[in-house]
Amino acid sequence: MTLDARDPLDELLRETLRQDVVAAAESLAGLEERVLGSLGDRLPKRGILGSLRALAAPTRGGRWGQLAVVGATAAAFLLVGTLLSDRLPFSRHEEPLLLGGAPAAATKSVASQSPAENGVLFILPALNARVVSVVGSFSEWEPVPLSDDDGDGIWTTQIPLPPGRYEYAFIIDGRWWGQDPSADEYVRSFGEYSSVRYVGGGGDGA
Amino acid sequence: MYRTQDEVSLLRASLEGETAAWGEIVMRYKDAVFGLCLGFLRNRADAEDITHDAFIRAYVNLRRYNLERKFSTWVFTIAANLCRNRLRYRRNHPVMEVDFELEGSADPARTVAREERQVRVRTALNSLPYAYRTPLVLRFYNDLSYKEIGDILAIPEGTVKTRIHRGKAMLKEMFDKERDPS
Repeated sequence: MTLDARDPLDELLRETLRQDVVAAAESLAGLEERVLGSLGDRLPKRGILGSLRALAAPTRGGRWGQLAVVGATAAAFLLVGTLLSDRLPFSRHEEPLLLGGAPAAATKSVASQSPAENGVLFILPALNARVVSVVGSFSEWEPVPLSDDDGDGIWTTQIPLPPGRYEYAFIIDGRWWGQDPSADEYVRSFGEYSSVRYVGGGGDGA
Repeated sequence: MYRTQDEVSLLRASLEGETAAWGEIVMRYKDAVFGLCLGFLRNRADAEDITHDAFIRAYVNLRRYNLERKFSTWVFTIAANLCRNRLRYRRNHPVMEVDFELEGSADPARTVAREERQVRVRTALNSLPYAYRTPLVLRFYNDLSYKEIGDILAIPEGTVKTRIHRGKAMLKEMFDKERDPS
């Protein structure tokens, strides 16, 4: 069997694939508005490298002045953090990362440590549930079971994750539950929500 | 206002937060991205959702895009990654695939013949394994080079050529069997 450059099958494939798109033209109408509506006021994220580039760029006030302000701010945060560390309800070195049920600000600060070593704790209160699992981009959407060994209705599992962006959802007795209250953001696909968590402050959305 | 602007100007304007410029980009690329998604996912509703999500994700990550790189390859890569995620997700949430309906045209006889031909090709294409189907879609719908397809699917160029060749051979084999079932 020869597959030469003027193969009629090529044209058949082109014709068929294009027809499928033409047939969907009606539902694609207005996609621009829907995309812009979903975007709202969101602007492209600058990212860490972009921020560093902006910091390194020449400014009217001079780079040293700008760096001094950043340094002083960092020092102030370090000082306040040290003073408050004894008052925190958990020790960052002893407790795992809480993804569910904890304030987002607290989970983010812990997530930026070494999640690969500590593991990321997925926690979900589900009092009457019989089976709870979490599915996500970290497991190729295969279920990872949560356990409730003491029967108090708090289901947990700990998963080591390198820094990155992860989409996930809980499955409670076979039902999809995609809005973890302490997620960094939500995405909506196919009529269902999924939660998004940035571990270690990084991740490539693409 | 944006209709006549070139792509780089539109992307620069989008980077500065002008969402209407991004709307023009969506208009220019939506069919191409949708065709890719449809080829990957074989389900129109899923393909529409992923097309929408791909443009959202592309916009949110626009600062990571290198203006010297071909924009289509970048946005196709994002869409392909989303499609892959969706296919993995589908292992747990199976959906009905292949729900296309063809539009009619003025000449019924010609329409019927064309529709029958397209149904045969579509059925055969959809029965191909994902690894062979997706390079064919990128090649014959999106008109991409072997290198671009390799970049998007993260496979070597030689593998792309092999899969396209093998995919077409499999299609021809199916058509031959249809003609001569014995």
